[in-house]
Amino acid sequence: MADDLKQIIAARAGRELKDGQIINLGIGLPTLIANHVPAGVDVIIQTENGAIGVGPQPDPGCEDRDRANAGNQPISLLAGGSYFDSCTSFAMIRGGHLDATFLGTLQVDGEGNIANYMVPGKMLAGMGGAMDLITGAKIVHIVTEHCAKDGTPKLMKACTFPLTGAKECDVIITERALFRRHPDKGFVLEEVAAGHTLDDIAACTDMAYVVADDVKLDAFGE
Amino acid sequence: MPKNKVVPIEEAMSRIKSGMSIAVGGFIGQGDPLTLIDHLKTMDVKDLTIYENDAGYRERGVVELVRLGKIKKVVASHVGTTPYIGKAMNEGTLEVEVVPQGTLAERMRSGGAGLGGFLTPTGIGTTYGESREQIEVDGRTYLLEKALKCDIAIVRAHRGDTWGNLMYRGTSRNFNVPAAMCADYVIAEVENLYTLGELDPEAVHTAGIFVDAVVRANIDYCVLREEAYHNG
Repeated sequence: MADDLKQIIAARAGRELKDGQIINLGIGLPTLIANHVPAGVDVIIQTENGAIGVGPQPDPGCEDRDRANAGNQPISLLAGGSYFDSCTSFAMIRGGHLDATFLGTLQVDGEGNIANYMVPGKMLAGMGGAMDLITGAKIVHIVTEHCAKDGTPKLMKACTFPLTGAKECDVIITERALFRRHPDKGFVLEEVAAGHTLDDIAACTDMAYVVADDVKLDAFGE
Repeated sequence: MPKNKVVPIEEAMSRIKSGMSIAVGGFIGQGDPLTLIDHLKTMDVKDLTIYENDAGYRERGVVELVRLGKIKKVVASHVGTTPYIGKAMNEGTLEVEVVPQGTLAERMRSGGAGLGGFLTPTGIGTTYGESREQIEVDGRTYLLEKALKCDIAIVRAHRGDTWGNLMYRGTSRNFNVPAAMCADYVIAEVENLYTLGELDPEAVHTAGIFVDAVVRANIDYCVLREEAYHNG
């Protein structure tokens, strides 16, 4: 994915953060959200390999050999942070102690199903902590490019790959739009990014959704 | 006086025989017991089953044992950081089973804690979950995950004393704690070895009761982390 698209998605995702939230960011694009925390908002970042209170990436030469995130990038730890083992980490995750998680995906559908860990018949990576995060975090955000590399929609009528989580996705943020799932209406298109129209979104989205009465056009991505 | 468990690496590792199951601590290189893995590379064993979060990082870690044909099966949450694992799987030389990370950690802990297993909501409604028994408790459905008990565990600690009390450093703690609980024979490599009484009892992460053998690390882990941080 092009860097500018990633930044558009990460910036919009950052605006979802609420002061005081405890969050976990997936590897790759979701990690960039840490650079887009709005002014006046303080969030606490947990990383599933065993730390909470993750701070900025240290300057080159100042990395600590035993301070890294789940993507193996060096981290710093803010005052009040701590380290723990994997059982404790997943007690936090499964036990409902995380306010939100942000993860990438291969597919997501209108029921809130998420498929993000394997493509059948192709190389297997594994679900890592994603299955636990999707099950345990209070709000599950999917942050993803709107379409796959071959141009086909990632927001599907129904996921065809094995699910990572069933009916767990609450918010979908792409470089083109933001959808939020409501208990009775399903996914609602709330925002369309600059340079896109309602028709554009309809044409590249197979997932069922309704358009919000007060849908915002040019909502982000300027 | 607690027993001195410090032994030569050859003596500790000679417990490992072909066909055994081995729990391995660490997380994509963070806390991986590479001194012990390096020794295993020199041993005449095969058909091992590995339980680990992953298979190492790039070309370092359990992936090296796979390359040498010593591993029959890897049970992990993620093998994407070691591309060779996918290749070996596709060529049919290695069996791979993936499980959720929290489930693998808790299966290890349960095995060491005398439990038969535990109930988790993780995996409900997925293909993965179909292979597990479902149990309803107070209106919520869970998967039954069975406890994991291995023949051997190999772990790495930053500090350890002669009885096997262990202290990890930073994010190197990870799977080393549950792995050290779940095996019949637990081998800990320690970067810094202390005599009894030198470690702060308030700060011990793994009590020596879980550990059977203590071996000195012979790897410069600072250099390895430099490489991990600066090569992408």
